[in-house]
Amino acid sequence: MAGERISVVRVRDTLLVSVPSDPDDGTVAALQDEVLRAMERHEARGVVMDISTVETLDSFFARTIAETADMISLMGGRTVIAGMRPSVAITITQLGLTLGRPQTALDVDRALDLLEERTPEAADGPERR
Amino acid sequence: MGPSAGEVAIATELDIVAVRRCVRHVAVGLGFGATDTTRILTAASELARNVYQYAGGGVMGWRALADGGRAGIELVFTDHGPGIPDVAEALTPGYSTSRGLGLGLPGARRLMGEMEIASRPSQGTTVTVRKWLGGP
Repeated sequence: MAGERISVVRVRDTLLVSVPSDPDDGTVAALQDEVLRAMERHEARGVVMDISTVETLDSFFARTIAETADMISLMGGRTVIAGMRPSVAITITQLGLTLGRPQTALDVDRALDLLEERTPEAADGPERR
Repeated sequence: MGPSAGEVAIATELDIVAVRRCVRHVAVGLGFGATDTTRILTAASELARNVYQYAGGGVMGWRALADGGRAGIELVFTDHGPGIPDVAEALTPGYSTSRGLGLGLPGARRLMGEMEIASRPSQGTTVTVRKWLGGP
């Protein structure tokens, strides 16, 4: 549906992105734009992408998430995907899709915990400072 | 009882969502569970996107299936685009075009269970997929 809003909210020094349940391609593309702009504006350490209401994650969506995480990493941040539904996990695995570098977490709480860990994780892109 | 067949035109990017909405309604109505519905939706989204991106548009037809005691769903994606020169190659897992993840055909077949492709270079392509309740 055209005009679905993607909400990007700052929570301490991370960005919480709430993705709508069935975004059209334009909305998915706008997600990348909005997230990167918000990264720059807030100098966030990381981004939590909440996909708990997402029912269908096809190759275009997966590719956009992977790309966006790469761009976030270039800007010195980390990405955690939160709330993936079991049916989505099953389907994207069977489809052979990859979401790239982001870690995943069961929910937004755990995702925020992950991002606040001081211990650097391997293969996460450049460390800040 | 609702209709047992229908069509969705694929002309704009927004029609990919229209395909998903229609297919979700049909799949849920036929009794497919959450995971199977997600599989069907994802396959439909991939195939609809192929039609839109590679062929410049086309149409998806859907049909409720009944065979003996079991029910199923059939989706037929038709376009008049450039066609697939080598269908066997396109069905090879890992096949990719310059766009990266490729046509998604092997994946869609895996998700649905049954797939048939008819294609003529410069004339168009028809991709038919079926999924049955309770497994293949």
